[in-house]
Amino acid sequence: MRRPIVVLGLGNPLMGDEGVGVALVQDLARRAADYPAADFVDAGTGGLSVLHQMDGRTKAILVDCALMGEAPGTIRRFTPDQVASIKSLSGLSGHEGDLVRIVAMARALGQCPNEVVFLGIEPEVVAPGRTLSDGVAGRWPEYMRQILAELTCT
Amino acid sequence: MSSAMKIHVHHVTRVEGHGNIVVNASNGKVEKVEWQVPEAPRFFEAMVRGHSYQDIQTIVSRICGICSITHSLAATKAVENALGIEVSEQADAVRILMHYSEQLQSHVLHIGYLAAPDFFGVPSVVPLAAKAGEAVKTVIRLHRLANEWSDLIAGRTTHPVTLTPGGLTRIPTEQQFRDLQQRLKDCVKDLNAVVEVVLSVAGVIPRFERPTEYVSLRQDNPATYTFYHGQIASTDCDGTVPINDWKTVANEYVCDQSTSKWCKWHRDAYAVGALARFNNNADLLSPMAKEVAKRFGLKKGCTNPFMNTVAQLVEVGHVVETSIRMIDGLLTKGLKQEKVKAKPKRAGKASGCVEAPRGILFHEYEFDKKGRCLSADICIPTGQNHANIQKDFEALVPQILHEGQDAVRHKLEMLVRSYDPCISCSTHALEVTFV
Repeated sequence: MRRPIVVLGLGNPLMGDEGVGVALVQDLARRAADYPAADFVDAGTGGLSVLHQMDGRTKAILVDCALMGEAPGTIRRFTPDQVASIKSLSGLSGHEGDLVRIVAMARALGQCPNEVVFLGIEPEVVAPGRTLSDGVAGRWPEYMRQILAELTCT
Repeated sequence: MSSAMKIHVHHVTRVEGHGNIVVNASNGKVEKVEWQVPEAPRFFEAMVRGHSYQDIQTIVSRICGICSITHSLAATKAVENALGIEVSEQADAVRILMHYSEQLQSHVLHIGYLAAPDFFGVPSVVPLAAKAGEAVKTVIRLHRLANEWSDLIAGRTTHPVTLTPGGLTRIPTEQQFRDLQQRLKDCVKDLNAVVEVVLSVAGVIPRFERPTEYVSLRQDNPATYTFYHGQIASTDCDGTVPINDWKTVANEYVCDQSTSKWCKWHRDAYAVGALARFNNNADLLSPMAKEVAKRFGLKKGCTNPFMNTVAQLVEVGHVVETSIRMIDGLLTKGLKQEKVKAKPKRAGKASGCVEAPRGILFHEYEFDKKGRCLSADICIPTGQNHANIQKDFEALVPQILHEGQDAVRHKLEMLVRSYDPCISCSTHALEVTFV
């Protein structure tokens, strides 16, 4: 039986802050025993595979590096209905998966959780490298608090 | 008809990474036809230098989010070849099963999400979900099975964590293998449904023939439709070339219209991928795969690049059927818990090769005697296909010019997608030095 909540961390850990979502779920997975209602999944750059992780859940929390025009390090909560994708390569290739449209597709197929929440983190550095920038790493407790606050279903 | 045609498709959608299509024509005469790859180089070969032989497969798996298992396997095989590390028969079989999971994953992704919209005449899989919902759900079920199969053996859907030089850090239990085998048997119904759906729209696959060279792995002993072992084979020559000599096959060169290197062997271009494997090894396919090929009229010697998608569907049947049999073999012998303690036996330089879903892939590394990486060279399948796509364009455009701008653009996009390219993996465009 699937746990009702899934926290999906997306990104590429070899591209600096691009991998922040993955780093956060890896950190959370270490204390997974404290949160029996949730699965913490490193979704990497899996694109459409996100569909499979959302199916059969009540709530999905998608944590990803996001270009939102905010100050670097800022975390913002939003729902699919509050945003429009402006990604230019949005033909839904397996690689260039557009999360917003993947959620739309899950809805069209009746395989979408009732509640989908994005937690976007504005990057400081997206470039080859295996570490997070200070501007992002320095706000870790805030990110963790915000994710953990989502681990209830409305 | 007197008219000017200017097509510039900037970044073909539904392929992995960026590629441009340029066609200029006037008064029925083609002036310029180009397949351009402007994707930025990613320097993975520089990134692994100085790293331990134990870390290479983890780093290079990030070359691709679709064929990460393939890159990890090619790297691991190269590491083992270079450092004299041996792998047990059981680990070898489990790795092949891991590799098959990615073939299924990637092929289903391509057929169902990327090529199917072309077959149904819709721009992407999102509207397809509304038009052919049941078919899309079937594809999603198969894709999910493939992902969970990768999870089970690789430890993760993408970017495997169980793979290590000398073997695997963990293998599934007997019960997990039995459950997987049952799921594979159960999925045959879904596979047949996908075959029926694709057959129902197969009339839209363009009829275009252009003889070219097809290059893939071939395994003679035992004769196998191979994705993992063997030597390099071609439809243009008899015999095979050893993996370590892959540079005499790829003959990489720089081309002005692309940031990725191009390749050629016996002709000015060659093709790799499912159709290349089929053309070299079709007689070794499993019975179910042969049946699928027969239903589509796909025969060895096919020179229609658009049929690559059908060849992928044939291979889907093969990997499922073969995996069911391989699991029987593993369980009959009995699973053994193996501890991997691989240490470099020497310094060395060698290559590893596997078939990525989209074609033959070469990795080469050099290590010092402590196992520290001194250099790397990676040659990916899409890089090997670029010249062939260009030659297809040059042959196809004059044949279809009269169909008008929209049709030409659509067919060229379809052609590129039929190669299932992964342009962002075209890793080593240029060699540079920073001063």
